[in-house]
Amino acid sequence: MLVTIERLTKTYGKFTAVDDVSFVVQEGEIAGLVGPNGAGKTTIIHTMLGLILPNAGTIRLFGKSLEEEREQILQRLNFTSPYMAFPVRLSVRENLTVFASIYNVRNPAAKISELLERFGIGRLRDKPISRLSSGETTRVGLCKAFLNDPELLLLDEPTAYLDFHAALQVRDILLELQRSRGTTILYTSHNMHEVQRMCNRIIFLSHGRVVATGTPIEVTRNVLKEERDAPALDEVFIRIAGRQPDEAVSN
Amino acid sequence: MKLYRINAVIRRHTYEVLHNANHITYMVYWPVVNIVVWGFFTLYLRHGDRMQPGVISCLLGAVILWGLFNAFQRDMAVGFLEELWSRNLVSLFASPLSVSEYVTGLIIVTSVKALIGLIVESVIALLFYHYNIFPAMPKLIPFILNLTLFALTMGVVVTGLVFRFTTKLQAMAWSFAGILMPLSCVFYPLSSLPAFLRPMASILPTTQSFEGMRQAIGNGGFSASHFQWGLGLNVVYFIFAIMFFRWMFESARSHGLLVKME
Repeated sequence: MLVTIERLTKTYGKFTAVDDVSFVVQEGEIAGLVGPNGAGKTTIIHTMLGLILPNAGTIRLFGKSLEEEREQILQRLNFTSPYMAFPVRLSVRENLTVFASIYNVRNPAAKISELLERFGIGRLRDKPISRLSSGETTRVGLCKAFLNDPELLLLDEPTAYLDFHAALQVRDILLELQRSRGTTILYTSHNMHEVQRMCNRIIFLSHGRVVATGTPIEVTRNVLKEERDAPALDEVFIRIAGRQPDEAVSN
Repeated sequence: MKLYRINAVIRRHTYEVLHNANHITYMVYWPVVNIVVWGFFTLYLRHGDRMQPGVISCLLGAVILWGLFNAFQRDMAVGFLEELWSRNLVSLFASPLSVSEYVTGLIIVTSVKALIGLIVESVIALLFYHYNIFPAMPKLIPFILNLTLFALTMGVVVTGLVFRFTTKLQAMAWSFAGILMPLSCVFYPLSSLPAFLRPMASILPTTQSFEGMRQAIGNGGFSASHFQWGLGLNVVYFIFAIMFFRWMFESARSHGLLVKME
């Protein structure tokens, strides 16, 4: 298993953000970590990156403990989220050069050019981040995420600030990269059509707990408790989002 | 620690200096204003032999060295605050970059900036006020090192506080050195403080450095005891500062503040 999360718990005072969560992600798959706002998706991603300390539970990535081998693990993965930002006075190229140095990328200039072209922002290379739209900054974040050719990619709502066409383009790039390089992707999103299209497997969260896991069709059948021929994750989302915390446990 | 990651931090802050006029202000403008104002004051004191030349030299030397201490402590904290203001912390610490690599890179950039300020002030003092600090430099370097180490320690403490309490405490970046100034005996000897304040003042490496500086500039030679006391105190404070920083950093991780800092 590339990712093994066991009994992860994170509390802030009396509030439980992540409650006894366990799941695995296999090598080469695209797993969707989905659920309503406050379900604990982003907290799990941040805990996997070592940005948040859990109260209990273990995280193993590439078979290694995050607490013991942080540096080696983080060298092999990458992350992006539209909610993170870059120093605004630095140009796109300068920002990416800094991260290329952090990841010790060979021939960084060529790598940066290749990624900028791939994500359709080659013309913006010398523009400061402050002059970019949120959609363009999101694409810079995606370029950063691919700088080190990661074996594991953690994408937190990567298409949230993108228009329909750009989101489609980014999804195609991600799918193509996943196919060609076998990159494992853990993907969070509120867009159920996107999740249905992208993910082989889904981990559905609600109120900090895992309420369903499986392929999109398995999750649809389990949560809706109906025989369906096609996934209907929108309906699953509405059903789960309407549940109270105690109902989420009973599934 | 990996050199290429330290180099990445240096590169990141160098780009920032090149694009952000505030850094030029901090690095050159304030040191120039500082030395010009104090320089005129010493010219006034020189007229009619109001003051002995040795005292004037000590005054200008103190202005230059305090400028260095203040700049180093402030630039360390502001360098880190820039990551926080630009919400760059998540990207940085979600990478293999370690906190010690980050702090090392920041120290290198801050040292260069503080050195530029020191040189600018010293050259202006020489050109306009005929005060040449350079011949005394060999005797001053040990005290400059002590001041730099203490400024670094203060910078680490302030950075730790900002990690834990976020921008609520960001004003400390500019004001922390000022809190220490009255007890650091920058412009007056330790003996001029009230007796009850002297023990407190003497455990500050800044006080030991300025006492040593006065002796060196006043042709009293190099004071090994002031240097050794300052260095010993610095070592103790630096160890505590690193422990404090780690505590604040882990506390920030535990409270999820690294991802919520604003």
